[in-house]
Amino acid sequence: MPGRQLIMNFPVTATSHRLADYRARGGYQTLAKALQSMRPEDITKEVTASGLLGHGGAAFPVGRKWAVVNLNDGQPHYLCANADEGEPGTFKDRWILEHAPHLLLESMLIASYALQVRHAFVYIRGEFDLPYRRLQYAVEEAYAAGYFGTGILGSDFACDLVVYRGAGSYVCGEASALITSIEGKKGLPRNRPPRLTVRGLYQRPTVINNVETLANVTGIVRDGAEAFKRVGIARSPGTQLVSISGHLRRPGIYEVEYGYPVVRFIDEDCGGILDGRRLKCIVPGGISTKVLTAEEIADLTYDHKAFEKKGSQLGSGGMIAIAEGTCMVRLLQVMLRFYHHESCGQCTPCREGMGWLHRTIDRIVAGDGRREDIDTLIRVSEANDGTTICGMGDAAGYATVGILAKYRDEFEHWIEHKRSKFDGVLDVAQAAREPADA
Amino acid sequence: MPDFFVNGQPVHADKGQTVMQAALAAGCYIPYFCWHPNLSIAGNCRVCVVEVEGEGGGGSWTDIACNMPVTEGMRVLTDSPRVQELRRQTLQFILLNHPVDCGICDKAGECLLQDHHYQFNGLPSASTIPKVKATKFVPLSQRIVLDNERCILCSRCVRFTREVSKTDALGIVSRGDTSLVRAAEDGAFDRDHYSDNVIDLCPVGALLAKSFLHQTRVWYLQATRSVCPGCARGCQVDLWHRQPEWQLNAPCFSEQRTRNRIERVTAPASSPERAGDAVDGPWICNTGRDLARFFERPRALQPMLKGRAAPLHAALEAARRLLGAARRPALLVSSWGSNEELAAAARLVARHARAGIDVFVKADRQAEAGEPIADDLLIRADKNPNTRGAQALFGAAPVRFAAGTDVVLVWGEGFAFGDLPRGARTILLNAFVQPENGHADAFIPISVQTERAGSYTQCDGREVRFAPCFDKPAAVAHAEQVFEALAESVAGARAGGG
Repeated sequence: MPGRQLIMNFPVTATSHRLADYRARGGYQTLAKALQSMRPEDITKEVTASGLLGHGGAAFPVGRKWAVVNLNDGQPHYLCANADEGEPGTFKDRWILEHAPHLLLESMLIASYALQVRHAFVYIRGEFDLPYRRLQYAVEEAYAAGYFGTGILGSDFACDLVVYRGAGSYVCGEASALITSIEGKKGLPRNRPPRLTVRGLYQRPTVINNVETLANVTGIVRDGAEAFKRVGIARSPGTQLVSISGHLRRPGIYEVEYGYPVVRFIDEDCGGILDGRRLKCIVPGGISTKVLTAEEIADLTYDHKAFEKKGSQLGSGGMIAIAEGTCMVRLLQVMLRFYHHESCGQCTPCREGMGWLHRTIDRIVAGDGRREDIDTLIRVSEANDGTTICGMGDAAGYATVGILAKYRDEFEHWIEHKRSKFDGVLDVAQAAREPADA
Repeated sequence: MPDFFVNGQPVHADKGQTVMQAALAAGCYIPYFCWHPNLSIAGNCRVCVVEVEGEGGGGSWTDIACNMPVTEGMRVLTDSPRVQELRRQTLQFILLNHPVDCGICDKAGECLLQDHHYQFNGLPSASTIPKVKATKFVPLSQRIVLDNERCILCSRCVRFTREVSKTDALGIVSRGDTSLVRAAEDGAFDRDHYSDNVIDLCPVGALLAKSFLHQTRVWYLQATRSVCPGCARGCQVDLWHRQPEWQLNAPCFSEQRTRNRIERVTAPASSPERAGDAVDGPWICNTGRDLARFFERPRALQPMLKGRAAPLHAALEAARRLLGAARRPALLVSSWGSNEELAAAARLVARHARAGIDVFVKADRQAEAGEPIADDLLIRADKNPNTRGAQALFGAAPVRFAAGTDVVLVWGEGFAFGDLPRGARTILLNAFVQPENGHADAFIPISVQTERAGSYTQCDGREVRFAPCFDKPAAVAHAEQVFEALAESVAGARAGGG
């Protein structure tokens, strides 16, 4: 276990996602406590005091986002849970949706009470099947039990929840594109200003939080900010659900307490690299974060500041471990194909730049690369940094520049010799046949 | 008290203005493609990037000017090295998949992309990969074709159909660099009576008028400010016609093709900086785009007496005698006459006042089949440009001839000669070939709007002026001169008779 656990703290059984089991674990008592004994602003104060950071990728302090919403402005507010988990390598929110949907719903009810939200939304990724069915089932259970609707738990608080399924666009995971999609339009990001907490869904103040972020709210309100801060470290309180994949013996979803050593997490909790190979590098949190080499993470702890010092980010917690012998040219090709495919095409640098990057790396891989292509990749990436409407252009640029800065020799080798520096690829299939604990 | 600073110069901004609006108002140009003063902010072209200097030694930051609210005391740089570099990069991106086929593009010469490239980039393409292929000559409607390769996806046309014409006829399908502007459904854009404005709006040569496609290069043309006579709204328009020095003289070009031809009609503000000049915003309806068809019908060029050709002075003399001898004359005033012509007609009526003359304003033109009658944007039900000006002088009484009316002076079209009083003699002033011309006792051909200067009083009472594009044919007269001549002769006849 990589540290203490706040969310994955119960055994998963065939019924653990049901309302009865959730109630048996103390579910919806925090909602009752909040409605009976707390004012909305007390909840926001508690969340602010907890220092909870957003778990969607940007690590924005949740309390600061909530505090922008003026409770007495006389207009409707909206709350959206961002369950459009599309970042490659990230699959942590689906665990919550599959196994603890009521935790999310209770948290959303508490947050809705804190923000005086009458209508809350869950924007769930269209490709999610089991998570969607589990969530929808949980919503129906919660409605039947009287947790949604009017007069919740005997109070005068009313809240309705709509589960909205996405249609498979990566960009719709971006908050403003997400609400544009909920409005029934094409999911294109919006320009800021205005911020979404000022003018968001249907032009009203809207708070959009990641599923895992919201899932932490119940615990914070139940045990208090101080108890929450005792988990993790001061600068990054709490835990992070890490979905780790790649050349590992035991990939999967782990709840990692902030401050936990990364190497220990990979070597002990995840069983180390397949086939007894050495680690080459990791993608820390979704492919939009810059890769970190094995040397860079040698004595790194899992928290925001530590990763920022190394020039990367924790991102969305979608970690990918890459073994020695993996070709970074092919890795970047896969990444850029993804970004090219997912660019919404609204603003110029990303629309044209993603295609430029993708076609350039395709040409390198096809053996027609030119020496100046590497500089083109870097220049196009940098021209996307901070010039686009949403963060996707920046993200693709970070990924490209991150890999090129550390593994330029592999690209030069491919351009010169028209093939990979690593003959053949890692035989994952054979490695997987070995017993995990061998 | 300056509100903020652009390149160190104090600039005033009104409340709620963006940096773009305030800077343009102050005469500082920031390049743009997707921004337009009469449309919502899309912020997608990214070329209007500016740098904002940090306060108190803080780092500066860059963002797009079109979506940046002015804050008190902010210091904006529109031409710093960083801004220049970002702009160059953005223009590189925009040109990446643009075909750069200016040589065969109708927009060449008035293209924002050309202008901005020469002014702000000027570098050859940095790309060595093949360009993305897209559809060309897509018929968006009966009137407009679309070249998707030239399109820079600024979404101006899409926003126009959503926000101004409110037909929602256009949208962008697909995503990434394969995005395409498309009509929402077949025929949707045909039902948009304002569709051609997207041709003016398009900053590049992606949206093209079928009627103007490959007709001429725009630098052979000149624009004359005029007024659309299609309805009482009196929208200002630019009539584009060949500059005299670029007339086509080779024999292979017919007279009709080369002379006195309106090549195209645009709203007066082809570029947003000129939006302030326009009477009703920078939009005009499709009827206005086609106004050439009003003037380019077969012209009457021969004065006639009862169908027999006669010189102009003879026709005038005949008209003078008819009017002078009339016991009960009537005048049917054209609602297409300019205020100057109407004033001349009024002087003629004043000279006649002692003897009495019945004056009626007639509607020269009615809505044609299929023509939109009226809407709440621009189009008015009255299809004549100066009804208001004419009625101000002559009243709004319907045409009803008094008993004993013996001479009728008909000015313009739209009068059924079957309605003439029995036995009345007619003087007809008309610009176009019509069967009635030969039946009139005196027929005098007159000039059309594109051959003279003048003004109309449009439906809201504003005076809108037009300038001449062409010389009038030698054999026709200006209606104003005809009325002056008749007024003099009436006065003379009265003086002589009395």
